[in-house]
Amino acid sequence: MAKPDYFKWAEELLDPAKTFEKPEALADIKIVELCTLILGPSLPSYLSEFGATVFKVELPGMGDTMRSLTPFAKFFKGAALGWQKEARNKYHITIDVHAEEGKELFKELVKRSDVVVENLRAGTMDRWGIGYRQLKEINPRIIYIALNGFGQWGPYLERPSYDAIAQSESGMAWITGFPDKLPLKSGIWLADYYGGLMGAVGVLAALTYRDKTGKGQYIEFSQAENLIRAMDWTWLYQHLTGKQRERYGNRDVSICPADIFHCKDELVAIAAATDEQFKGLCQAMGRPELAEDPRFSTHLERLKEENAVELLKIVASWASEKTYEEIDKLACEYGFAANKVSNSKDHFYDEHLRKRNFTYVVNDPIYGEVTIEGIAPKLSETPGRIRWLGKPVGLDNEYVFKRFLGLKTSKIKELQEKKVIGKWADQIGRKPPEDWDGKRGVILFNK
Amino acid sequence: MTEQKEISWGDWIKAHDDPADNRKKPEALDHITVLDCSYANIAGCFATSVLSEFGAEVIRIEPPEGDPARTFTPWGLTHKDTGLGYLNEGRNKFHITLDLSKPEGQDIFKKLAKNVDIVVETYKPGQMDEWGIGYRDLQKLNPGIIYCAIYTYGQFGPKASCGKADVDIVDQAYSGITAVTGELPDDPDNPKPSEVPTKQGNWMGWYAGGGWAATAILAALHFRNLTGKGQFIDVSPAEAFGRCINYGLTYYQEFKEVIPRVGNYDVGVFPYTYFKCKDGFAFLSGFSDINWKALCTIINRPDLQQQYPTIFDRLNLDNMKVMYKEIEKWTMEHTYDEIYEAVMDYNKNIGEGVVVPGRISAPMETMKAENWWVRMTFEKIDDPYYDELVIANQPWKMTESPPRVKWVCRPVGADNEYVYNVKFGWGPEQLKELKEKGVI
Repeated sequence: MAKPDYFKWAEELLDPAKTFEKPEALADIKIVELCTLILGPSLPSYLSEFGATVFKVELPGMGDTMRSLTPFAKFFKGAALGWQKEARNKYHITIDVHAEEGKELFKELVKRSDVVVENLRAGTMDRWGIGYRQLKEINPRIIYIALNGFGQWGPYLERPSYDAIAQSESGMAWITGFPDKLPLKSGIWLADYYGGLMGAVGVLAALTYRDKTGKGQYIEFSQAENLIRAMDWTWLYQHLTGKQRERYGNRDVSICPADIFHCKDELVAIAAATDEQFKGLCQAMGRPELAEDPRFSTHLERLKEENAVELLKIVASWASEKTYEEIDKLACEYGFAANKVSNSKDHFYDEHLRKRNFTYVVNDPIYGEVTIEGIAPKLSETPGRIRWLGKPVGLDNEYVFKRFLGLKTSKIKELQEKKVIGKWADQIGRKPPEDWDGKRGVILFNK
Repeated sequence: MTEQKEISWGDWIKAHDDPADNRKKPEALDHITVLDCSYANIAGCFATSVLSEFGAEVIRIEPPEGDPARTFTPWGLTHKDTGLGYLNEGRNKFHITLDLSKPEGQDIFKKLAKNVDIVVETYKPGQMDEWGIGYRDLQKLNPGIIYCAIYTYGQFGPKASCGKADVDIVDQAYSGITAVTGELPDDPDNPKPSEVPTKQGNWMGWYAGGGWAATAILAALHFRNLTGKGQFIDVSPAEAFGRCINYGLTYYQEFKEVIPRVGNYDVGVFPYTYFKCKDGFAFLSGFSDINWKALCTIINRPDLQQQYPTIFDRLNLDNMKVMYKEIEKWTMEHTYDEIYEAVMDYNKNIGEGVVVPGRISAPMETMKAENWWVRMTFEKIDDPYYDELVIANQPWKMTESPPRVKWVCRPVGADNEYVYNVKFGWGPEQLKELKEKGVI
């Protein structure tokens, strides 16, 4: 249907190979991050891909707890995999903000920045004297976002939170999984990653407002509330019917057919969301008459429980006799939706995802070539990019304190002696890899 | 400055960001106009919901017979002819009809696009271009335009032209996240039907796609503020959701293995999972060494702490199963409230390390919990057409330009009269003519 040259044109326009020839959308934005784990840190990480300069502030020595978080305690060249991915593109500095001089240093950074991101318990920053009330006095243009489980006020204020708690308190875990099993936690830190993402939307909306008015503002963000917002028809359904939404396995009860099926060699998601797609699926199954069957001829009819169960049986039985390759070919030809349940190995070898910079090879100054989940949206004028991954604790102290705060070498030494700033502890996940030469990755290295 | 000493942080911030006062405050995007041509796709609808909640004027363009997404609803249930999934994402938008496949519809679309800031569409790649209203054409009329196209396989790359449809479940399957979500078989030789890779219950692929689309659009808007330049944005909901994976590609590169799915365990932290208790389920965590020690103290099992003293001892699947059973012995003897009290009492009074407890809430309990009503997470909206409905608000509470929901949805073509009048000065005569031609 597309004009013959459309894909050539699109590829030319969006070609990831030209990324570094193009400017970045947020090149003028500086972000100070005082966060741990994922909910907070993922937000500046997303914005860093659009060119924001991010100062990740950690405690000297041990740094972020995330530096220990890696599957089965298996490290990648001495770095935790959970850490390395979301610490991408950031400048890694340390400040002990409990110390007076640390607070001053932190404030100096904020004075020169546009955004502050923190995910501490409600009120902690305020108690430390570096909360929004204090920072807006020194920088009225600051956009300050605080992310946590339940927000800054309200009956749940005292409750600590984690990703898994946001998943369970929202009801998200309850509606995920199979009816005969326990409510299911996502295999990823969903409330964290998707929380950071929507947090970024809030920051960018505030930035648009600041572009227009010059005013900064405070943004309060609860990761549980964010999941509640993403639970599509749950609340309208409960309000209108008085019935509770349960979990229905892999079947989507609001689109039919849409389920995950066993074919001969793979698990494959198959769906048809419109009458046109459904007709295509019926033809592909060699059953064009089904599209005319009164039980299936409109989507609202197909969705009725008895019809849906019948239809899913027909699709399941058809799929079980096909290979994934056969199903995929038919989906392309007839325009319904189908894809196998893909894992990281599939992504690693997927030429399509490599071409699109999702499967991204970072040329990291310290760790070398690292393949990682890369860029989600492709922008024609200001494409996203990754320059480096997580670095050892405090590696960028000298560079940041000199270039952005103008500190003298002697001052940096003094702060280091007072332990206000400092480098890594001698522990895995904190220090450079074994083969590090003392130079790789250091900006402003002295011979 | 004296104010700060007198008023606690919680009271101060509530006085400044309570959503009850949202409607008195200005809006971040009230200078922005958006054309939303989403078709059978909630990712596009969600992206423009976000923009509309921040105040953008969003004109939702449907074919004259309505968007098929209006039928995405559990068991076919509709409310005043609209499915519940669509009803939830119609918020604040003007709904008009326009047949983009007809030359006259295309002309009208071009006239609209000339004066807008953003276009969002979810057709198969090249469809809008084929109709002469893709980015190539619009860019000439409106160089500042930000054009966002959403599709599972994107606008370029070997699979972009495959022709397959974009449906949430397929976005989830392709994202890599379904593969790591779900129960591991108890008996690998005899797996139960439920012990398979499992999707999120909600349209998580589409919501992640819409979320990334909104992020990219707003970043592009900032760039346009600086340079005057618009651009083309290509979002794949599968990649958008896949970007949220904990780790996968680097693990494969280094160890040539894929992360297994481990049910409610977590391959990077333990304990961090749901336990059965006397009257339901409880979440408990204590994964850093000091927090693990705290948990073992609370359940009075110092032996467990000694047996598995470091994070590294606790990240072994076999050890996890042993520890899980031992912790569950304790949780099964208590109700959720008792567990919560015991843990919070420790946190408050002993406080060496922190254990985090949580409740597994059924969605009906969530909707009844006072907390979410006090915070206006849920809000009753008296919609002019759909009457009283309960909606979930956006998670941002903001001091200056907070989001808000003004109306929930509109029927097909309900705003034709207003939008075509305000944009083109057309009246009943012109609309009648277009209707007769089947253009609107």
